[in-house]
Amino acid sequence: MAVSDLAHVSKAGVPARAGHVDLARLSVLALVAALLLLPLLAGGFLLYSLSLCFANALAVLSVSMLVRYGGEVSIGHSFFVALGAYTVAIVEHRLGISIAVSLPLAALLGAGAGFVFAFPSRRLSGIYLAVATMALALALPEVLIGFEKFTGGFEGLYIAQDLIPGVSKALQHYYIALAVLVAVSLALAHFRKSAQGLALLMAQAQPRAAEAMGITRSWARVSIFTLSAALASLAGALTGFASSTVSPNSFTFFSGVFLLVGSVVSLNGLSLSAALVGGAFITLVPTYLAKAGDWVPVLYGVALVVVTLVANAGDLRRFLPRGRAR
Amino acid sequence: MSVAGIFRDILPLLWSGIISGCLYGVGALGLVMVFKSSRVVNFSHGNLACLGAFVVYGLSSGSLLSLSWGSAVALALGIACAVAVASYALIAPIVFKSDLASTIATLGVGLILQGAVQLIFGADIVNLDLPVPRFNFSLGAIRISSYDLAVLVVTLAIVGGLYVIIERTKLGVAFRAVSTNPFACEVCGLNLRSVHLFSWLAGAVLGLVAALLIVPTTFLSSTTVPSFMLQAFTAAVVGGFSSLPGAAVGGILVGIAMNMFSFYVSPEFMNTFLLGVILLTLNFFPNGLLERAIGGRV
Repeated sequence: MAVSDLAHVSKAGVPARAGHVDLARLSVLALVAALLLLPLLAGGFLLYSLSLCFANALAVLSVSMLVRYGGEVSIGHSFFVALGAYTVAIVEHRLGISIAVSLPLAALLGAGAGFVFAFPSRRLSGIYLAVATMALALALPEVLIGFEKFTGGFEGLYIAQDLIPGVSKALQHYYIALAVLVAVSLALAHFRKSAQGLALLMAQAQPRAAEAMGITRSWARVSIFTLSAALASLAGALTGFASSTVSPNSFTFFSGVFLLVGSVVSLNGLSLSAALVGGAFITLVPTYLAKAGDWVPVLYGVALVVVTLVANAGDLRRFLPRGRAR
Repeated sequence: MSVAGIFRDILPLLWSGIISGCLYGVGALGLVMVFKSSRVVNFSHGNLACLGAFVVYGLSSGSLLSLSWGSAVALALGIACAVAVASYALIAPIVFKSDLASTIATLGVGLILQGAVQLIFGADIVNLDLPVPRFNFSLGAIRISSYDLAVLVVTLAIVGGLYVIIERTKLGVAFRAVSTNPFACEVCGLNLRSVHLFSWLAGAVLGLVAALLIVPTTFLSSTTVPSFMLQAFTAAVVGGFSSLPGAAVGGILVGIAMNMFSFYVSPEFMNTFLLGVILLTLNFFPNGLLERAIGGRV
C-alpha cells in the first residue's frame, strides 16, 4: 500500500507519455532561448521589470516548494527575501565585496534562519507554522527599521557594485537573475527525482511508511523549510541586485502574502514556466495597475480565493441544491 | 532601580496589561472558536474586524452618515455577520477537504476586505472613541479609568455569555461535539455546517467587539486592527489554539508580557517579541501552556 502510493506520488510530477516529453522540453528550451534573446529587442523599463520578475519568480518557487514538498503555507517568506537582499547590500557597504560572494552567503544565511525558524514547530501541524510566519512577516519591518545602523533605516541602502565590470547594468541584472532562476528550476527538477526529494515527498504522503524507513516527519519538515528559506533568500539577493536598492518599503506585511498569491496562481508548480507565471503576476500587476493601487489587494484576494476553490473543490456540482448525493 | 520603585511600576503595568490582555483574549476566542469547529485558521479575522470598526466610524462620525454610536454598532455587527456568512460560504466547498487550502482562502478573503477598507475609507488615520463617561480613580498605586471598567465589564459579559451558550445550550453541546469528533457527529446526523456557521458568526462578533475596544487606546487605520490581531494569534498559540479558556488566559498573559517588554526593554520591537513568544511556546509547550492533557492535532 505504502510502496504503491509512493510510486504513484513519484510519477505525479513526471510527464508520463514518452511522446510528450520532447515537446515539453522543447517548449521550455524555446522559452529560455526567447528570454535570452529578448534584450536584443527590448530595453530599459521592460528589462528592469523582467529582471525583478525573475527574482520574484524564484521567491514564488521557494513558497511553492514549501507547499509541494511540505504541505505547509508561509506568509512570511518576505523575511527571508529581505534577509537575502540586505545581505547583498550590507556586504557591499561594510566589506565592499560584490554579489559574487554575497549571493552564496545570502543562501547560507537564509538556510540558517529557516532552520532556526522551523525548528520550534517541527512536531506540529502546518497551521502553527502558518501562524508563526504571520508573526515573522509583521516583525520584519520593525527589525529593518530598528537596526538602523546596519540596514539604513527608512531610507535603506544602495547596491552599486557590478558582478562583471564593463557590461551594462541592465544586462547584468537581467542575465544573472535569469541564469540563477533557470539553474534553480533545473536543480529542482533533478531534486524531484533524487533520493532526498523522494524521501521528503514520502514523509508527507506516507508519514508512517517514511518513519519505518528512518525518515521522521519532523526532520522532513525542518529540512524542507530550510531549503525553501535558502531559495527565498537567494531570490532576495537577486531582487536587491536587480533593483539596485533595498528599503523597508519593499518588505511590508503584504509582500509575504503576495508571494503566496504568486505561488497559488501558478498552482504551486515547480517548473520554470509556472514560476514565471507566478513571478509575472506579482511583479507586473502592481506595476501596470499602479493607478488603481487599492484594487490590487482586492484583485489578489479574488485570485487567491478563485484559484484555491477551483483547484481544491473538485466537482462543484455536488454543491448545487439537488446534488447532495454523497 | 530600587525595590520600592519596581513595586511602584509593576502594579500599574500589571493592571494595564490585564486590561489590554482581556481584549487580546476576546480576539483570540474568535480565532479559536473557528479553528475548533472547522479546523481553519481564519486569517481574515483582523481584516473583518477592521472593516467593522471603520463602518462604525463611517456611520457615526458623519463621513458616510451621522447615526448614533449604538445604531452604528448594530449596523456594523449586521455587516460583519453578513461578511462572515459570505466568507464561510466561499470556503464551504473545500472546508472538509483541506485545512490548508481553506486557510489560504481565508487569506484571500482578508485581502479582499483589506482592499475594500482602503477603497471605501482611504488610508486615513482616524480616532474612534467609546461613548462612556470619563472618570478615573486611584486604588493604591493603580489608576483605574472608565475605559478600563468598560473593557472589564464587556469582557466578563462576553466570556460569561459564551460559557452559558457552550455549556448549557443545545448549540453549545453540538459545538463541543463537533470540535471533539466531527466524523462521529456526522454519523449521528448533526449538521456540521450550522455549527461551523455559528462559530464563524461568533468569531466575527468577538473580533469586532475587540477591535472597537482596542481602537480608543491607539487610532484606527487600515493596518492597525489587522496587526493588532497578531496579539490575538499569539494569545491563541499560548493557549494552545484549541482551548477556549486557554485563549482567554493566554490573552491576559500576552497582555502583561507585552506591557513589561515595552516598558523595560523596548516599545519598538513588539512584533518581534511576539514572534519570540510564539516560537518559544511552540517549542516548549506545543499544546499551549494550559493544555497538556488534551493535545492538539499533530
